[in-house]
Amino acid sequence: MTNWAVDVLLALAVFFALACVVGVVVMPTTYDRLHYAGAAATVPAFLVLAAVLCREHLSGGGLEAIAAVGLLFFLFPVLLTATARAIARVEDGA
Amino acid sequence: MNAFVWAALGLCLGYLPLLCVVARRRPIDGLVALELGGVLLVLVLLCLAEGFHRSFGYSVAIVAAVMSWIGGLVFARFLGRWV
Repeated sequence: MTNWAVDVLLALAVFFALACVVGVVVMPTTYDRLHYAGAAATVPAFLVLAAVLCREHLSGGGLEAIAAVGLLFFLFPVLLTATARAIARVEDGA
Repeated sequence: MNAFVWAALGLCLGYLPLLCVVARRRPIDGLVALELGGVLLVLVLLCLAEGFHRSFGYSVAIVAAVMSWIGGLVFARFLGRWV
């Protein structure tokens, strides 16, 4: 049962991560690409974290995985905001 | 090869289109691709740490998350100012 859950979670994580990559490649504007880059730090990251926790539970490795995904989830919006400001300056001269 | 190693390989496939974006589009688009590459790196390191049962791999993923964030902020700052 656990192996089956891990396989499904990892397959979904890879699918959503590659969907974000496709979004960054094919979207017409830089803001659209930024939207897809931001999505990668949420859904695929938590799916990988869930898969790791299925195996590790709350051992040392599981806690460090929670820390890594938590850093991504809470720090990445700051980076997205800074990048959006840079895009505004580049495109609009703001 | 277990599921985590296969997942890491699948995530690594995402780097090829991102390299095309970095090489062929504007620098600001390359920055967005670089940020997504940082997220993919953290996920790949998590998968490899679990797939090969290397506990230090989780620490590397934490360091990669912080360093990719700092690098992205620096690039965003300088691209917004000078490009």
